[in-house]
This record gives sequence, C-alpha cells and structure tokens, in this order.
Amino acid sequence: MVSETRAPDLSVRIGSLHLRVPTLMASGCYGTGDEFAGLVDPSAIGAVVLKSVTRMPRLGNPTPRLVHTPAGMLNAIGLQNPGIEWYLEHDVPAFARHDRTLIGSVAGFSVDEYAYVCERLDAVECLAAIELNISCPNVASEGETFACDPRLTASVVRAARAVTGKPLIVKLSPNVTDIAAIAVEAQEAGADALAVINTVRGMAIDVDRRVPRLGNVTGGLSGPAIRPIAVLAVYEVARAVTIPIVGQGGIETANDALEFFLAGASAIAIGTANFIDPRAPERIVHGIRAYLQAHGHASLREIVGAANVGFADAYQYEGDEG
Amino acid sequence: MQALVCSSPGAAAVHTATVLDRRLVADDVVVLGLHAPVLAAAVRPGQFVMTIPPCGMQAAVALGLYEAREDRCSILFFVCGPRTRALAAVQVGASLDLVGPLGNGFDLGDARDVAIVAGGVGIASVLLAAREAVRSGARVRLYYGARTATRLVEAERFVREGCELLAATDDGSHGFHGRVTELLARTADRPDLILACGPHGMLRATADLALAWNVPAQLSLEETFACGVGGCWGCVVPLVRTSAQAPHFPPAERGGSDVVRARVCREGPVFWAHELRW
Repeated sequence: MVSETRAPDLSVRIGSLHLRVPTLMASGCYGTGDEFAGLVDPSAIGAVVLKSVTRMPRLGNPTPRLVHTPAGMLNAIGLQNPGIEWYLEHDVPAFARHDRTLIGSVAGFSVDEYAYVCERLDAVECLAAIELNISCPNVASEGETFACDPRLTASVVRAARAVTGKPLIVKLSPNVTDIAAIAVEAQEAGADALAVINTVRGMAIDVDRRVPRLGNVTGGLSGPAIRPIAVLAVYEVARAVTIPIVGQGGIETANDALEFFLAGASAIAIGTANFIDPRAPERIVHGIRAYLQAHGHASLREIVGAANVGFADAYQYEGDEG
Repeated sequence: MQALVCSSPGAAAVHTATVLDRRLVADDVVVLGLHAPVLAAAVRPGQFVMTIPPCGMQAAVALGLYEAREDRCSILFFVCGPRTRALAAVQVGASLDLVGPLGNGFDLGDARDVAIVAGGVGIASVLLAAREAVRSGARVRLYYGARTATRLVEAERFVREGCELLAATDDGSHGFHGRVTELLARTADRPDLILACGPHGMLRATADLALAWNVPAQLSLEETFACGVGGCWGCVVPLVRTSAQAPHFPPAERGGSDVVRARVCREGPVFWAHELRW
C-alpha cells in the first residue's frame, strides 16, 4: 500500500516477541503454516501458533470431530499430537526451515506436565514464544480446565514461568464466570500476554439418529457466533490487566479485528476464517492499515483500548509497547 | 503396492475461475463448467477442491473435480443444503474462487482390469480416473449405484468414455435392484484393481469384498472438513501406522499406537482398503 504519508506501524511487541503485523494464526487451526503455503501472502502472517503438544502421544477424539453450525463450527479434535519426545525428534527439525515466526503451544493434564513440556520447548531455539493452552474444552471431563480455576491457573503459569524465559502467552477460557479474575491470576503468576478466548463449549444433536453429532459428544464453538462473547471478554480482561492481549474468536474481517483492538487487544488471532478463505489474513491486514490511514493514526498502538469506555479510572492500559 | 502419496504436494493455489456454463443433469444435480487453466493442468484423478463460498461467510465446500481438460474444469454436486444451494446459484460469467488441487488422488499403477464403484455423488470423483484407465488400455467397468433411475446422472457419459456400465438402483427402476456392491459381488470376473467413491456403507462393503477377494482397492473417503488442507486435523480416519500415507506418530512401544489417525484431506482422500482400521 503506497501512500504519501508513511504506512502506519502495525507492529506488536510481547516481551522479546516482535511481530511485524498483529495477526497470529490460532493454535490448532493452521498446522505449522506449511499446509497453507502458496494460498496466502506470508507478509500478512505475524506468527503461527502451532498445534498444542502434550507430554504423552494422543490419538485425539473419535470422529466426527467437526460440525458446521449456522454461524460457526463445533470442533472436538482432542489434542491429537505425537507427544513431546516424538515432536522434538520429528516435527521440530522441520521448523528451522521456516522463515515464519512460530509460537509453540503446550497442553497438559497436570502442573508437572505443563512444566515438563514447557521446559523442553524452551530449548527449541526457533520458537519465538510459548502459548500455554490451559483452556482446551475437549479433553477434560465435564469441560473442566485449568483456566476455569484461578488457583490452578496461577500454579500452572508459575510452573511454566519458572522453566522458560520465552514470552509466555496464556490462553484463557470463556467458559468461566469471571474471566478478568483468572486473567489477573495469570498476570500475577508471570504471563507475558493473554490469549482471549479459546472456544465456547457447545453441542449439536442429530435429531434423526437421536445422538450427539460429535464423537466427543461436546465440542468447542468457534466462528462469528462467538465474536461478541470474545469482544466482551477482551474488554473485561483489558480493564483488569496491564499485559498485552491477543484477541480471538470469530474474526473474519478487518472490522472484526478492529473491534478487538478497540476493546483492548494488542494483537489478534485468526482461526476459523482461514477455513473459509485462506486469504483472510491478507484482507484483515490491508483493512486494518486502511482504517488507521483513514483515521490519521501512525500506529496500531494508538487505538488499542480506545473503545474501552466507562472505566477511565480503572483502565490502566499502557502495555509494554507504550 | 504403490504408495498413494501425493506426487506434487504444495501445488495447491487459490484459483479465480470463471463460470462457463451450468448444466442441471437431474433435479438438484448441477455441473458447473469453469475456466481454470492452471487448475485443469495441475489436477490428477481423485483430487478435490475447496470452493470458497460465493456469498456470505459459510464454510467452504469440498468437491471432487469432475472434468479437467485444456483450460476447463468442472465440478458436479448435489444441492443438499445452503452451501451447495449458494454454489448452484452462481451465474454463468461470474467468478468462483477455488483452492486446489488438494489431496492425493487415485493411482492406477499398471492395472489392466479396473472396477470403479460409485454411489450417488461419488460419481463426481471418478470420471478422470475412468478416462485415464481407458486411455491406458485397461478394461474399465463402472459399478454405479443410486437411489433411483433419475439419480444415475452422467451414466451415459461414462459409456461414451469407454466404460462398461453396470447400474444398480435401490428401487429397481434401472439395472440391478439392490445395492451396487451386491452387483459387484456377483461378478465371476474379478478385476485387478477397485476404485471406489460413495457413501460410507458402500465403501465399507466394497472394502470387505476387496479384502475377501484379495483384490487391491483404493477408496476415496468423505469426512466433514473444516480447512481441507491439513491444518485442523478435523477429518481423520484410522490407518495402520505402517502405511506410507500414515502421519508420523510413535509406535505402541513408545507410548503411541500402531493404528494412527490420518487426515482425509491431506493424507487422503484416497486410501488402500487393507490399510484402513475403521
């Protein structure tokens, strides 16, 4: 985009993680990015958040794992992955060949497991940051996750913080009563940023066969259906913490992304929209740039939290990138 | 037995095709002709495309490429929901964005006597393979099943391409009265390769028959897709770990499994019947 004025600065800094553009590809939606090679302009991708890895191999959930819904989709993949040892042997060597920024993702079933996998990923040089997936709704019984409990959130983040110096992004669940309280715990325990939100728990039933439509019975809802839920979550979390927020949940267009920035997110992540059109990141980045130019902003940072009204006294957002 | 691995991974691109013509081959069965020269040159039999929805932000639709010749491709689909209805409404002259070619496709190897088993809309994914087999000099029999005579769309087309047609309908309105796999089971003249695309039950029955006969069979599977390119792991099928198509995964003795879950969109959609553990 050539203009007489300087192109607005879309860069984001999260600790040592520097993104040229504020668009992350959401974990579990984008493989390593190789799967989408040739389908999208790589300059529209700030970073790819890799699929979560656990300590032990996981076959994942039985099929069907996906159900399309009127304004989104349900998924219940179940963290299929080869386990950390195999991952380090067979997946990681290929990562170094990528020129895209990669963020590792860790999931687990105990504090020790999170710490162990984080420590192993900390040694992987080509990972620019680590996301702690403490909010996958599709593996634990009754959807209970670490991100549903402030104390468990604090202990898992503290344990991860102790073993890695990489920027730590903690992915929060919307399936809670007070997400801001959990966000504060994550911040206090050493998180560098928060990913807000993971999928919303949901279910669909086949009325002819009278059975749940997902092999896992329940799943996580994504797509435009959950966008207002996610915008509100970002709005509430932004009032409560000072660390950057990666807003996500149903972002399909630049306007959708802007809602998240204005609510208080410093960056955004794109998931389901890539399934509909792999060029979505290009459209979103171009649209954000055009909006900032049209409104005379030199940088994206100028609009972060701009619509977070009504909380002027409580709202302390300065961010690391100030 | 050859590995059904995509010979040109990474060849997929986003193509903006122009709709050349639209043919209604039966009630709610549409063939859209597309000007898409790069796609037409790249596609191999059994590969598919994701059609980016022409309006609104519904999920993309995965469709087998029916024809591909020179500058032209076509897609054949049944109108069965809002997404295919929107696709059917695309006007001649309008553009349609597609991602492809995707998946591995069929591999005819050196087969001399090929039986193609197609059920319903599965017919859309087997024409290119039938043509290639005929051109190679192989005998090609098309076992084609449908609910009723009017749903045996494009059967004559396969005959013109040089296939022997053996039709079956659930209601007996045309050909054999019963399932197409029952018709296949009656043949005394066993093929040396089976290719199949159709509903789950038909594929299972085809696999059972192929295993009983000890005839190699390639099955083109269908699952609900999200991305269609291998990014989300939503469309998996159980496969023996030793398959050349299996995604890497630790063996049972390292805490893994000897049956792994392969992506239908990326490692498939075509799998050897004897390697599936479904």
